[in-house]
Amino acid sequence: MQKLNILIIEDTKNESDSLIAVLTENNYTIVGVATTFSNALQLFYEHEIDLVIIDIFLNGQPDGITFAETISITPNSAKPFVFLTSSKDRQIFERAKLTKPYSFLMKPFNELEILYAIEFAIEKFYNQTNVFLSEEENTVISKEYLFIKKKNILKKVMLNDIIFIEVDERYCNIVTETQKYLINISLTKLIKLIDQKKFIRTHRSFIVNSEKIEEIILNDNLLILKGNHKVNLSDNYKSFINQFQLLK
Amino acid sequence: MSLTLNYIQNCNCFRYKAIAILCVLYFQFGYSQKDENEIRFNQVLIKKTKQAKDQVYFKKATQFYINKNHDSTLVYAMKCISINKKNSDVLDFCHYYRAYTFFVKKMYPSSKKELDLISKKFPFYTNVTIILGNIAFDESKFNDALNYYTQVKKAGNNLYYSNTNLNKNLGSCYMFLKDFKQAEKYLLDAEQTAIQSKDSLIIPNIYNDIANLYYEQYKDKQAIFYFKKAYLLSKTSTDFKLKKLTAGNMAVVEENRNNYKQAIVYRKEYDQWKDSLNDQNKIWTVANAEKKFAVTQKQKEIKLLEAENKVKKTQRNGLLIVAFLLLSILGFGVFIYRQKIKSNKIILAQKNDLDELNATKDKLFSIVSHDLRSSVNALKTSNSKLLSNLETKNYNELDVLLHKNASIANSSYNLLDNLLNWSLQQTNQQYFYQESINLNAIVNQVVYNYKPLFFDKNISFESKIDKQQLIFADAEAFKIVLRNVLDNAIKFSVQNGTISIYNTKTNNYFCQLIIEDTGVGMSKTILDELLKESPLLFKKENNEIIGTGLGMQLCKSMMAKNGGKLDIESKQGNGTKIILYVPVAGN
Repeated sequence: MQKLNILIIEDTKNESDSLIAVLTENNYTIVGVATTFSNALQLFYEHEIDLVIIDIFLNGQPDGITFAETISITPNSAKPFVFLTSSKDRQIFERAKLTKPYSFLMKPFNELEILYAIEFAIEKFYNQTNVFLSEEENTVISKEYLFIKKKNILKKVMLNDIIFIEVDERYCNIVTETQKYLINISLTKLIKLIDQKKFIRTHRSFIVNSEKIEEIILNDNLLILKGNHKVNLSDNYKSFINQFQLLK
Repeated sequence: MSLTLNYIQNCNCFRYKAIAILCVLYFQFGYSQKDENEIRFNQVLIKKTKQAKDQVYFKKATQFYINKNHDSTLVYAMKCISINKKNSDVLDFCHYYRAYTFFVKKMYPSSKKELDLISKKFPFYTNVTIILGNIAFDESKFNDALNYYTQVKKAGNNLYYSNTNLNKNLGSCYMFLKDFKQAEKYLLDAEQTAIQSKDSLIIPNIYNDIANLYYEQYKDKQAIFYFKKAYLLSKTSTDFKLKKLTAGNMAVVEENRNNYKQAIVYRKEYDQWKDSLNDQNKIWTVANAEKKFAVTQKQKEIKLLEAENKVKKTQRNGLLIVAFLLLSILGFGVFIYRQKIKSNKIILAQKNDLDELNATKDKLFSIVSHDLRSSVNALKTSNSKLLSNLETKNYNELDVLLHKNASIANSSYNLLDNLLNWSLQQTNQQYFYQESINLNAIVNQVVYNYKPLFFDKNISFESKIDKQQLIFADAEAFKIVLRNVLDNAIKFSVQNGTISIYNTKTNNYFCQLIIEDTGVGMSKTILDELLKESPLLFKKENNEIIGTGLGMQLCKSMMAKNGGKLDIESKQGNGTKIILYVPVAGN
């Protein structure tokens, strides 16, 4: 499990310092603090970033919105972001609203508010609302990561690291090369959101990362995966084998 | 027809003229006279009308025909024709009437046209032929006339026309065609039948014709005999024209015989008749002129009346238009007036509202500035105390003073925040966006800031909110409400009090969020004042505690904006229960 990387765009040092303090305490990694628009873009493209916290006004100009607009219209570079503002100016809000999906936070804010805003922004961005605060689920799925909230801490797991997923009623057991995680997500939702070319269902309760398959033993209905994990193969789901070019 | 005779012309020419005049005259006589044949014919017609009872026009046309009322005959016959397109029986009669009438009026082409329309089945077709003959005769087509007459003659005797007349006409035709032998034969036949029928009117005419016939042949003796006969007979007649002509003829004859004395006597007689005829003509023309005059007078009157009518019409139209215009102006005026009254009312109401609002604002400013002034003043004195304590290194006191300062700053901040929100809301500048929010999360976020305050007053706080409850609201607006409600709850709580916050779901559309405290509560009057639907602010009662009531006002409008409601239950000294009705997400 990795921490989430956050970029802060904020021109007031006091504010950014308190933000860094709060976020670090809550297990987020701060990859940088930008104070200008160009600075922000530079940092944004240099690092792998999961979320941006943007102060709308940089040196009196609404450059924060410009930044949000820039990353929103650039394909594949859009990331979730949270606006920070002390202004209640309606026009600014109307402009900010156009950078969808967006969430904002009024200054002054407390710890709970900023944490909530971050989670809310991620939910909204990946279009999977009411996950982190619900009791049934705790995982938001993006194309590259699983964002998992465990014990009030938000972390991520890279999808490529997953070897297989074992479904157990309301829970899913995620097995990577190094660790095992238990997450809350329904199987139907998981199947819907996950890349089905890569992750193949081999059994009623197994989903396998096809890249991690080392051996298929048809006779025993067994799959041997990386790290010597053995997974059952059921007749109902055998058809996926046709995707592979078999050596006979 | 010209009745002038020119005596200076040569003999032949003169003779001819006399004859021509006589002949033409004869026809008028022949047909204006009611001889037996005609009476018979009329009787047949009357019978006919009795058969066709429902033919009113036909009946009338027939009557007018019999009475020789020519114009009316034409009109009614025409009407009868127009409604009887198929009844050829009646049609033939009508055409006959018209043909006859046209003939009498000397409109020969029209007459011929009508005669053509009569079918061959017409029972009195011989009469048609006779009229055709007469027309030809009048148009001096003697050969044609002769043809027609001989046709009639060949057809044999007929009860409905006079045989005498026919013979006479035949004779005349032959005379004009210079076939004197035939002429003599027919005319003498006519004389005989006329004498037999004792028709005193036609006899002198026939004598005249015979006389003319002989005169033409220069058989003067015989001619004079007949002229004289005619002249003598005409004396018994009442017809002026006949008298005049016979006398004229006698005069010419005597003159030609060089018997001037006698000629003068006849001439005088002729003149006498001519004069009386002229008189008649004159009277007739005078009557005609009078009639014309009367007609023109009438026409003038009609024109005058028409003009008057026109004037009246235009006057009436003018009046109508003016009346309409006046009415519409009146209506428009009333409309404008009512509109003005309406807008005046609105303006007045708005003015009152504005006055009230302005008064509220002024009052608010004075309260806010007073509160701010006192809190800043408190901060000032507290700070000086802090400084003196710092000098004396009384650290225990420092902690107390700092906490006091913090609470003063906090309440001042809240006041200013409310003021800002209030002004934004008043000018409608507040951004507002409702979305689905987790109720528990938002309550926790707000409560987080108040934890130190609970601790300060040793208030036990408990929150029991359904973690899954989603509400549909603007997060910032809802936070403002929660902050104010919690602020008040703490403010009016006593030491060691309890504040609890919990929710109940009312229905699919609303959930209730209840914030309950065990504080001082409030009187019914204040409660009512607070819940009143007016933008006015309320008097401040609790001087010890900073507050304007602005917060509560703000809460009410924010809840309303979110589609919810705020309610208060409280009793003096018994704590307060604030109930927030919030729309549930998903509706």
